[in-house]
Amino acid sequence: MLILRRILATLPILLGAAVFTFVLTRVLPGDAASFLASGQASPEEIAALRAQLGLDRPLHAQLMHYLMQLARGDWGQSFTTGQAVTADLLQRLPASLELTFFAFALALAIGVPLGVAAAVRPGSWVDHLCRAVCTAGSCAPTFVVGLLLIYGFYFLLGWAAEPIGRLDALVAPPPTRTGFLLIDAALAGDAAAWRSALAHLLLPGISMALFSVAPLARITRSSMLAVLGSDFMRTARALGLPRRQALFGYALRNALLPVLTTLGMVFSYMLGANVVVEKLFAWPGIGSYALDALMASDPAPVQGFVLLVAALFSLVNLGVDLLGSLADPRAGEAP
Amino acid sequence: MQRRHLLQAGSGAGFLAAIPAIAPLVHAQTRQETMRVLAEGAPNSRDPHGEGVSRESLGTFTNIYDRLINFDRVGLPSGIFKYDYTRFKGELAERFEVSEGGRVLTFHLRRNATFHDGAPVTAADVKWSLDRAVSLPASKRQLSTGSLTDPAQFTVVDAHTLRITLPRADRYTLPNLALTFASILNAELVKKNATPQDPWGAQWVRNNAAGGGAYKVESWTPGQQVVYARFDEWKSGPLPYVKRAIFQTVPTPATRSAALQRGDADAALQLPPKDIDALSENKAVQVHSVPVTNSFRFIAFNSRAKPFDDVRVRQAVAYALPYTSLFRGASLGHGQPLFGAASATPATSTFPQPYPYDTQLQKARELLAQAGHPQGFKTSFSYNVGDATIGEPAALLVQEALRRVGIEVSIEKVPGAQWGTLQTEKKLPFYIDSSSAWFNDPDYFFRIFFQGDWRWNFGAFDNAELGALVDAARWETDKAKYDAAIRKAIQIAFREVPIVPLWLPSYDIALQPDLANFTYYIHGQVDFRPLTRNARG
Repeated sequence: MLILRRILATLPILLGAAVFTFVLTRVLPGDAASFLASGQASPEEIAALRAQLGLDRPLHAQLMHYLMQLARGDWGQSFTTGQAVTADLLQRLPASLELTFFAFALALAIGVPLGVAAAVRPGSWVDHLCRAVCTAGSCAPTFVVGLLLIYGFYFLLGWAAEPIGRLDALVAPPPTRTGFLLIDAALAGDAAAWRSALAHLLLPGISMALFSVAPLARITRSSMLAVLGSDFMRTARALGLPRRQALFGYALRNALLPVLTTLGMVFSYMLGANVVVEKLFAWPGIGSYALDALMASDPAPVQGFVLLVAALFSLVNLGVDLLGSLADPRAGEAP
Repeated sequence: MQRRHLLQAGSGAGFLAAIPAIAPLVHAQTRQETMRVLAEGAPNSRDPHGEGVSRESLGTFTNIYDRLINFDRVGLPSGIFKYDYTRFKGELAERFEVSEGGRVLTFHLRRNATFHDGAPVTAADVKWSLDRAVSLPASKRQLSTGSLTDPAQFTVVDAHTLRITLPRADRYTLPNLALTFASILNAELVKKNATPQDPWGAQWVRNNAAGGGAYKVESWTPGQQVVYARFDEWKSGPLPYVKRAIFQTVPTPATRSAALQRGDADAALQLPPKDIDALSENKAVQVHSVPVTNSFRFIAFNSRAKPFDDVRVRQAVAYALPYTSLFRGASLGHGQPLFGAASATPATSTFPQPYPYDTQLQKARELLAQAGHPQGFKTSFSYNVGDATIGEPAALLVQEALRRVGIEVSIEKVPGAQWGTLQTEKKLPFYIDSSSAWFNDPDYFFRIFFQGDWRWNFGAFDNAELGALVDAARWETDKAKYDAAIRKAIQIAFREVPIVPLWLPSYDIALQPDLANFTYYIHGQVDFRPLTRNARG
């Protein structure tokens, strides 16, 4: 029942996102027709091209047409790649998702234990380390961190794989099953491709993860501190419950709710904001696709990108809500 | 580089443990015959006659399609080659003859040439391809500058002979036939995939190569990379050394430069002047700067709208621009300056050539006073955001310099998508841009950049005397008369100054030190066919 209600609640959000992006891309100055026509086209030829692209009809007619197309699953055609937007996005989505999942897993693996350790030993060197990592990670923008990592680990030391794409140029890609190279290479038993894919994920993943470690560690720390100081924890300590059991069985579980919400926010942020990382590492994801389309005044891919990210955001929020209700059954109930 | 290479080879060998030790050697050989090029953009079409093709697509067309002829090449002192605009060599055509005073061109095709799918190349394919070229709008526009306009001009004499008939002898016909706009397609293959609504198969060819050139498209990932594999049956020239070529899109110049220096890439294109200067000091790469004579960087006025409709105002600004600072600051000294000529009378008929303007603020102030702006005026200066590497520093320098003669300049940054529109509609009063022409003849420049109702008439210029001179020069075969007409035209351009040329850019490319026979063509893309590698010591 909860799931159904939540899914229905996301539909108006998606509709709003569709209308909003449509209006935005039509209102922006810049005429796709004259951009596409080469410089010697006369005004008549440009007008003909505009009519062919359907850009000369009134705005509300274009909007209705667009919404009908969306309902049919036709997200439009990209002028610059010449392919359907759905095909383009489906081709590029696994790359963005794989990078996001990898960076997310890294941020989780570093941030949550760091936050827990800092909460358990407040004022110790672990706590100071946590504070230092968080400050350093959040004050340097991802672009700067990425460039520094490329310069240090690839250019100077030669330890990292080259920051171009998802695979080494000379390694044949494994047959596409899911689009996630790590999974596909494992399924095909291709060790060289698997190692190459992992090597190429490292630098962009670390660049993205560093920025996200800060909110995760801080929220985990403060949430854990609040829980550790609560009555039931004091009771557990007083009754002599083993430390490990108290920490992981009771404290962590109760501290999880704010952490889950932050996880959802961090994941959503990563998905939308990895454009910079994609450009820097020549990563073939949806972010750089949308940016290229925006610069070329190509409206359909930009609309498709925003819709896709809105849908993914909604899914992530749904997931967070469900996990939250699992972790803390009080969440989501009417007060 | 050596260690990584060894590790890669070693891991490959370990993986194929059953195969004897020739495995690492095979891998090393393959790496030698594979070429990796890193560029900023990506090819977006496989149709050489199509609309809206990106610059990188021209490199694709060069490699996967043949043309009847190609430009020959000339060696440069730095060791690479450059196309020779005045000489041609046969590509698909073994030889050709020019007869009847230049009005009839007869091409004799190679007898054993085939397309990638094995079908033989015949004159019928050539005729169909040229018919297509003069019918589809983008290629039609270009080929019409060489008197190629009508399918009736192309006749099939026999299976391996094609005749082209021109209304009058035109010195632009042969150069046009060497451009990618005149590529030869596999007619039968395209016709099979054409539809009644799309008789030329434009939709299909955009996404499918139908060629017979030296390379086939092995894989095409839009916006990311294109992998080319050598077509071993290629007959239109010596079989290329490079067996496989990978063209990758890497948006960040720093990454392209880093990959080249580490030896992971073979060529890096479109590096900004700062990176080129840094690479020049690195012995591990070879850096070449080729002076480009048919491209130029300029500042333009809208000479049809106030205040720039007064020639004195334009001249005043031309005397106020900070040329040396612009050349050193925006271009870091790369290229050939086009300012500071000693005399207003041109000595030669080459164009672009240096204009007789340099920074003389007093003269600028006098001219402004004469034009009725003794206190100066306000205007805006625009540049394309995609051109910000040069545009941004240039805008600041121009603003600062013009303030000294009383002209208040506000800087407008225009997104790339709008730039074309605004230029076409002549809504930019004062801006900086660069452009190039396919051909080097001066009358071609004047026809494109100094007249007409299109985007490339950057200064919105319309001068009857210049128009007459250029029309006369177009067909002039007598060199002395041609030069005289052009010199008069140049004088008009000097005096009216609808655009102020700043410098000729240089084409900069960074290559691995063992690459040889790199040949520069007008499109600035990499032609894989002549490339070889010197054996590593």
